[in-house]
Amino acid sequence: MSTSHADTGAADTDTRATDSEFIQRRRTEATALESELWDVLDEIPDPHIPVSLVEMAMIYDVTERDGQVTVEMSYPCMGCPAYGFIENDIKSGLRVVDGVAAVDIDVVWDPVWTKDMLTSDVREKMRNSGISL
Amino acid sequence: MDEWPDPAVDYMQAIVDTKLILGHRYGQWALAGPSLEDDIGGASASQEEIGHVRQLASRLQAQGRDLEWIHGDRDATEFANAACLDSIDGEWPTYMASTAPADRAAWYLLDAIAIEDLQGMLTKMGEDEYFHLEYHDARLETLAESAPDTIQAALETTLPQALSFIGPATYDEETDPVFTSGFTDRSVAEIREAFIAHYTDLFEGTAVSLDGVDFDAPDPDTWDEARRRVGGGSISEADLRQLRGTENKLFEIN
Repeated sequence: MSTSHADTGAADTDTRATDSEFIQRRRTEATALESELWDVLDEIPDPHIPVSLVEMAMIYDVTERDGQVTVEMSYPCMGCPAYGFIENDIKSGLRVVDGVAAVDIDVVWDPVWTKDMLTSDVREKMRNSGISL
Repeated sequence: MDEWPDPAVDYMQAIVDTKLILGHRYGQWALAGPSLEDDIGGASASQEEIGHVRQLASRLQAQGRDLEWIHGDRDATEFANAACLDSIDGEWPTYMASTAPADRAAWYLLDAIAIEDLQGMLTKMGEDEYFHLEYHDARLETLAESAPDTIQAALETTLPQALSFIGPATYDEETDPVFTSGFTDRSVAEIREAFIAHYTDLFEGTAVSLDGVDFDAPDPDTWDEARRRVGGGSISEADLRQLRGTENKLFEIN
């Protein structure tokens, strides 16, 4: 299914089986550039688990205003040892996209990340990698 | 509440300092446990406490506290950690009887915070703390059988210190400045009651007696509101160097 948002400047957004409903709602409202940024983030792997940060439902929102990008995200584990690595990956991945001048990361805890945010397809990918949930 | 009242900032600072030193102590003892499970549990708890500090410190920074100061760029006597964590002199049972009350007291103080925009973060911390506190209680119960004298002697020191960290019994709904400001939804007196009831129940019927514990501590006349303790004392200079990573900097590659 594809939803057109041409009148509002929002991008065509495919509903992906690996995106949770929560993430799908946020992505549906993305502009063309924001949608491109979501795709870049979807290429950044979680350092511990063989799925992307988007598939892990860690990226809550991406907004862009005049080149200023804000990524709203959360972590499954508050004591994540890769906290800084992940933020560096996000910033270095997004800064090189045309139209991006600066990237801010806003770590939020509402809603609290839970395993319920993982889709069945993501769970299957994790199970195939030997990770039980 | 965008700007916290001064007593609330001190309250949060004491929680952060306690978590910072808790994370440090868990890490120091993570290879000293009697079993691999104890070591893994300690390492995991250390990681989580430092993660909590990272988030809470940013909230304190928003209230005007300097981030480097929070992370250790200050004198040892400026830390407001629970006094039972200043030093741990003894073996594994003493370590457990020192860290467990501090961790539980810190969680009770956090759980009492009523600020709306902190609730998601506190919920997440509670998920971690559930396992810390369950583990501590289970371990204290087994140690109450295998090392009752050591546990009892340690608790006679550490429980009053943890109660001092929570605050004086005279801080009720009329007088507790953090509660009356609306920062917390229960007074220090109520938190103390829950804390005392928990340990009374935990050791009931075991070989550990809490009859010698001063459950009235601290004396409100000598209690230091900023450091949430009585009688001074602090972590050591060696602790400070480790917190700051002073020795590690010698190995930096420039």
